[in-house]
Amino acid sequence: MKEELRELWRYRELLFTIVERDLRIRYKNSALGFLWSLIIPIVTTGVLTFVYGYLANNGVSNFSAYVMAAYLPYLFFQQSILDSAQSVLSQVPLIKKIYFPRELLPLGIIIANFIHLLLGWLVFFAFLGFIYIRNPQVNPFQFSTIQLPLLMLISLFLSTGLGLIVSALNTFYEDVKYLTGVAMYLLFFLSPITYTSETVAYSAINQRTNGVLFSLYHLNPIAALSTGYRQALLAPVSITIGNTTHPPIGMKPMYLYIAAAVSVVALIGGYALFNRMKWRFVERP
Amino acid sequence: MTEATTNRTPTISVRNLRKKFRVSNAAIGGLKTLLLWWKKRSVREFEVLKGLDFDCYPGECVSVIGRNGAGKSTLLAILARVYRQTSGEVKVNGRIAPLLELGAGFHPDLTGMENIIFNGVVLGLSRKQIRERIPQIIEFSELGDSINSPVRSYSSGMLARLGFAVAIHVDADILLVDEVLSVGDYAFEQKCYDRVDRFRKEGGTILMVSHNLQAVERFSDRCVWLKDGQMVMSGLPDDVLAAYLSDQASAQAEETSTPD
Repeated sequence: MKEELRELWRYRELLFTIVERDLRIRYKNSALGFLWSLIIPIVTTGVLTFVYGYLANNGVSNFSAYVMAAYLPYLFFQQSILDSAQSVLSQVPLIKKIYFPRELLPLGIIIANFIHLLLGWLVFFAFLGFIYIRNPQVNPFQFSTIQLPLLMLISLFLSTGLGLIVSALNTFYEDVKYLTGVAMYLLFFLSPITYTSETVAYSAINQRTNGVLFSLYHLNPIAALSTGYRQALLAPVSITIGNTTHPPIGMKPMYLYIAAAVSVVALIGGYALFNRMKWRFVERP
Repeated sequence: MTEATTNRTPTISVRNLRKKFRVSNAAIGGLKTLLLWWKKRSVREFEVLKGLDFDCYPGECVSVIGRNGAGKSTLLAILARVYRQTSGEVKVNGRIAPLLELGAGFHPDLTGMENIIFNGVVLGLSRKQIRERIPQIIEFSELGDSINSPVRSYSSGMLARLGFAVAIHVDADILLVDEVLSVGDYAFEQKCYDRVDRFRKEGGTILMVSHNLQAVERFSDRCVWLKDGQMVMSGLPDDVLAAYLSDQASAQAEETSTPD
């Protein structure tokens, strides 16, 4: 693996070029171009604010911010994995003609998506600023926001590791792409994105199992990360189920450590698997 | 091999090179093939290269001839590191620019200019270096203003010109050419050959695969004849070509005389 990493470093210029190319192609034939990267999170924030403010108000003020805090990193994860799946397969004609480290294809796409996540956070903090201007009594900005880079690093490792696995497997077995599509879909609903982890903690089934379900639930790194992002970026909220209002409960840091460990294992394992398979990409039947 | 070349270090050195391909009868490996792995899959193995040994030296132009399926293109692809050999040793001394298929590395939605940068970086230049060479590349390719249009609007001749122009301007030490110099029109072809000649005089090595025997005779210093993955003969182009042609003729005679 050391040799492979050295080779990767030698080709760093190409990695930047692939990222640049990916960002260019994405909006190549559109009039607004790169602005779309900002428009999508802006529109999402607007819709969520309308839906959770008027249509599905659950009593939490500015609930749309809570959704965005978990949704933006989830979107990065999902898009990275789905794009990775096609990254090598769509470039088979190219890699049949010329050598470069094959891992640059998924890596470039994941980095491009990471740049979109950064733009998403830009919109998110602008939104918090907007909330602050409308209601200056409460400062929505949290000191714990300094944890954000660490959380993003965990997300990046996890996405890269799984992205490498999916891109290698999908080159030979195209069912993998559809399988990951379904997995992403399920993961979205099984993670606290449109609801809070408190909802899970106070659910009847969790009370019956003495909190075992809540623990198991957060073993899913995406669930742990969603709660982690929310806790870092926003003030804790009380939630109301039925007529009772429950105080916020924090997630134990242990679950974030587990998520971090899983992401490191995914990264190393994914890179090892990719390197084992990459020479056969050009020989796919 | 002439006396003069034996003392220098080779730019390409190949020892006992073997390449096996595994071909599954299932068209595309689906999940089904994976799940049914325990069932005896109909995987055929065939050896395309069966132990090759040869060297190329700086300033030399070596051409590889042989019938379709002899392993010529596989050999070039292994040298370009597109395939990894099954066994044997490949040593390459210097940077390789493969011209395996002109324009294959271009992205249709990007402009010619953007593709020059991408391809130049793939071939080992930094972005700064490639930017400095862009004027020369555009001039050589004769594309003019079209350089700012997406390459999907290019004709095959334009693609070929751009591909060659990039490959020749990246300061490679070794040029791998797979039957591609005969694209473009006559004038451009001449320009390519002139440029290749200059490249060789500056100490570059060329390894080319061609069915155009006139080009082989005209350009190469040495000729390697491959048949069924093995080297039949290596030497001066005149000798090898003569032997190759007489073999072809006798094979053809045999084929026509064989009763159905």
